[in-house]
Formats: sequence, structure tokens, C-alpha cells
Amino acid sequence: MEGIKRQAVVLSLVESLKEHGSWCGETHIQKSFFFLQELLKVPTNFDFIFYKHGPFSFDLRDELSIMRANTTLEFSAKPYPYKPSYTPGAASGKLKEVHKKSAEEFRGSIEFIAKEFSGKGVAELERLATALYVTLENEKCKDTAERGKLVHELKPHIAIEQAVESIKKVDDLTKRAKDERLIH
Amino acid sequence: MTKHFHEFRDPIHVFIKLDSDERKVVDSYPFQRLRNIHQLATSYLVYPGATHKRFEHSLGVMELASRVFDVITNPRNLHEKIKDLIPEITLDNKLQYWRRVLRMAALCHDLGHLPFSHAAEDDLLPEGVDHETITVELIRSEEMQQIWQSVTPPLRTDDIIKLAVGPNKTKGIVFSDWEAVLSEVIVGDAFGVDRIDYLLRDSYHAGVAYGRFDHFRLIDTLRILPKSTGEDDDSIEPALGIEEGGLHSSEALLLARYFMYSQVYFHPVRRIYDIHLKDFLMEWLPRGKFSPNANKIVEITDNEVLAAISKAANNSSKKAHESARRFVGRKHFRLLYQRHPDDTTINPEPGKTIFESATSRFGVQSIRRDNYTQKSASSDFPVLCNDGRITSSISKSSTIQRLPVASFDYVFINPEYVGEGHRWLKRNRLKILIENTNLIEEE
Repeated sequence: MEGIKRQAVVLSLVESLKEHGSWCGETHIQKSFFFLQELLKVPTNFDFIFYKHGPFSFDLRDELSIMRANTTLEFSAKPYPYKPSYTPGAASGKLKEVHKKSAEEFRGSIEFIAKEFSGKGVAELERLATALYVTLENEKCKDTAERGKLVHELKPHIAIEQAVESIKKVDDLTKRAKDERLIH
Repeated sequence: MTKHFHEFRDPIHVFIKLDSDERKVVDSYPFQRLRNIHQLATSYLVYPGATHKRFEHSLGVMELASRVFDVITNPRNLHEKIKDLIPEITLDNKLQYWRRVLRMAALCHDLGHLPFSHAAEDDLLPEGVDHETITVELIRSEEMQQIWQSVTPPLRTDDIIKLAVGPNKTKGIVFSDWEAVLSEVIVGDAFGVDRIDYLLRDSYHAGVAYGRFDHFRLIDTLRILPKSTGEDDDSIEPALGIEEGGLHSSEALLLARYFMYSQVYFHPVRRIYDIHLKDFLMEWLPRGKFSPNANKIVEITDNEVLAAISKAANNSSKKAHESARRFVGRKHFRLLYQRHPDDTTINPEPGKTIFESATSRFGVQSIRRDNYTQKSASSDFPVLCNDGRITSSISKSSTIQRLPVASFDYVFINPEYVGEGHRWLKRNRLKILIENTNLIEEE
């Protein structure tokens, strides 16, 4: 999936995060897509690398810029302590109308992730996404403590206890996604 | 007596000083080749002064990289939390090593550019190859490896590569926090010195004032900061940020970037010349593509391409005669349509839609399209406030928050049809946009 169809999926996630009460900053979008794509296999084809706050996609960042430029998304921030936020823009209605099918196809997965991540802060999103990255990179390792240690090695500012806790949360989230038949 | 330090005069930074190891890089074949690669591709056909080359830009990036390094590693400028998060920053021998790597990486960051820089890169290299992958190959070449090994202590090639091309182009390699910050110094979205130098240099040579800003003040206020002080479950990951006193100069940098994109880099005549150049190269190059082999790439510069264009333009039996004539005879295609914000509320892809209709009407040879959006437009970096709080630049600055994204979508037409084309579009634009919207979902 690419181009305008992929933008329809991004818009759908932004709307879902908003509906679930998220301020919807870039980190919410980045980490949600990492889970959507790598765990729930939504075929958005973003190229993720391990970088800012864990897994990060420059493609996705560029897609957000394109969507701002064509006014399907807007970017705003109220003064401190509010955080920068993405919202649907003036041209979002037409995009939704034209690409209804693309967004509908992944509705269940998008809702699951948006509900899960909407209330979380940047630090927790960073921990969870790094935990999933480590879990996927070390498929054979089932030991939570060992994977927690790897999270801490990659991001030393994440304490070992927090890292292990995040691994457990990711394992639990994976199990629930399987129960809901979002992972096949 | 052997000279250990060398100087270049430079219109932007006055003097650029380098040592004998760095001089070896400058004297290497891949680096000398940059003397013949235009920094701004065909922009000199619009802004006649913009004939500067990648050579001086690369020297400028090295100069600025070490200025930034010296500021952000100065013990007086270190945030308390950073000493814990990045232990390397307090070790003198580590700092000396990384300063040297940073300067070498800055020198080498553009080595792999094709003739005319970005103008022809997208379609003239095989899938998965770009100027950064060629840069990596050249940094790994035998000639350059000998230089890295001759330095005391020897420099690790992979360290130079990491900083020269950054994490986006070194897939599968994990960066430590320290390496991520250093790569930001060169290629970072907000304060990368690559960008600082090209904005200053391009505006100077193009003769436009838009790209200028107070880079002295900006660099003096750069700091490595945790993204937050850790309240409200915010991350404390280290990043390149700024003291509150430098906020206005960072706003000026970001505005300069926006203006330079809008006025110079996205100028429609420059964009169509890039397309005519690409048309020429596709006909002129063997099998229509550049070789992905770095050793082959370094054999060719703008000089060889311009000589071939001149030859083809003056001989009607030559392959690529037509596109060469357009290039040298100023017979470039003219702007027919550019995306208007109102059109995106009618049709999500107005440029593509107009392009397809115009191609059906006037023929594939008479219509061209070009579209691009500035990469990484978001400029969210930490700001150390005067009261010690750390906040996002976007929350702190309403200028940064409201900065538009530079973007364009152009459709061009053969000059023979320009009058007819504009009349056709005036009559049919709305109808084309509405009717074709209904077809998109079915595709």
C-alpha cells in the first residue's frame, strides 16, 4: 500500500486516536503504526529503523508532511503544557469519501491500537515500542528478563524494571490481539 | 618546513582550517570531483550566480560541524542529566576521537552525488541505490580506508559512515544516543549543519536574502538536552536542542528553509530544466541509467554531461538532440497548472488528475509533471527555558508551530501548446477534477 490509499489509513488512525481522547502527537502516530504494521500486519510498508524513541519511520514522517501540505492533516499546539497535535484538515473529508474502503478494511486493527495507545505518554510509548522491537528481533527468546535487559541496553534511560514491565505488557497485548483474531 | 595546518578562503565562513589528515581527504580523487558538481543542479539557469559546487559546501559543513561540536561538548554547556545519559561526553580521549570522526564524516557526506546533484537521481539509478549508498561505498573504498588507517588513532570506517549519512540511510545499524546526537549535528532535521551551510551558501550565490539567519547566535545556543525533565511521562531521551535565548535564531533558520524551498529550490523553471536534463540523460546514458558502481560514478561529472549536451544540441542526427536543444536553447516547457489548496478539497490528487487529462489531450511527449514536499517538515526539538524547564519547540514558539510545509505539484506543457493549453484548462479544470474524483476509488 502506498500514496493516497496509505494516507487514508493514516487519517483513519488519527481520527481514532482523537476519538479515544489522545492529543495525537507524532510519537503516538509513529508507535501506533509500528504496532499496526509489525504486529498486526497492516500492509502500510513504512520503513522502520531503531532511532528516536525506539522504532521510527522517516517515510511516515514524510507522509505526515505531505498530508499537512495537501491539508488532509493539520498540526497545532496550544501553549504549554499542551502538546503538539495532529488533527484532520480541510481536505480530509474528500480523502475519506474517496478512499472509504482502504480505511474500512483495517478498521478493527486501527481501533484496537488506538484504544490501547491513546492515553499513553511519550515515555511509555517509547518503552512499549522498544519492547516490541526487541521481541520481534529476538523471536526465539521467551524470557522476559532477558528481553528487558536488551531494551535497557538499547535505551539506557529506560530502567531495567520499566523495561521488563514493558515486555510483559507487549506479550499481553499480543495475546489479546490473537484472541481478537487480529493476528493470524 | 612541512605545513601541518591548511586554510581555504571561503565567502561564507571566511577561513576554513584543516589539518594534514583532513587535507588528504580533500586531495583524494572522489573529493576533488566535487569541484565539478553543481550544488544547485540547473538553478543557475534561473539564478545565474548559483554556479557554486559541492566542493566548497562540503568544506563548509566540516567547519560548522566542529563549531557545533565544540559548543555542545563544552563542560559549561552540559545539562546535568546529559552527563548521566551520555557518559562519553566527559571523557577527553573519546571526545577527541569523535570530533575527528565528525569532521571527516562532514567532509565526506556528499561524495556520492551524481552529476547535477539531486536533479536526476530518482529515476536514473537502480532501485535501492541513491547518492547516500554511493557515498557509503566511497567511504569504504581502498583510497579512503588508507586515510582512515593513517590517522592516529585510526578511525573506524563504520563510525564515519554513521555520521556522514545518518540513521535513515544505514538500515540495520543501531545508533547509540551519542552517535544519534552526532549524526544530528550533520544531517539533523532541525539543526543539521549540512542544512545550515547550504541555506547560507545557496542564498549568497543565488543572490537572494531569504536563506540568511544569525547562525553564530544559533550555534552558540545549541545544547544536548533530554527531551523533557521527565514529568508527565515524557521521554528523557537525549537530543539536539537549544537554550531559550536561541529560539528566535532557530525560528529564523526554519523560516529561511521554508523561503528557500518556496523561492529557489521549487522554482518551476529550475524544476522543468531538471526534467529536461533527466530526459537527456535517459537517452544518452547506456541503457538509460547511471551505473550503480561507485568507481564508475566518480568518472562522470557535470562537465562531461554538459559537453555531451552541447554536442547533441548542435547535431540533429545525435541521440537526445531534442532534449539537448531544449536545454541549451531555452525552449523549456511552460507551467500549465500548479496545485491550489481549494482543488484538494474537490479532488485529493489534483496535480495527478490534471496531468493525466492533459496527457490525453496533448500527448505524452508534450506534458510533464513534477511534485515534491519538503522532507521532515516537523521541527520538534527541546528548548531549555530560562527557569530550567525543558519544553517542545512547538509548544514554546507559535512561529515554529505555524510554519507551513513547502510543497508543490506542477504540470508543464510544450511551449508550442501553451496558449491552447491554458484556454483548455480554464474551460475544463473544475469538470476534470470532479469527474475524475469519482473514478479514483475504483482504480
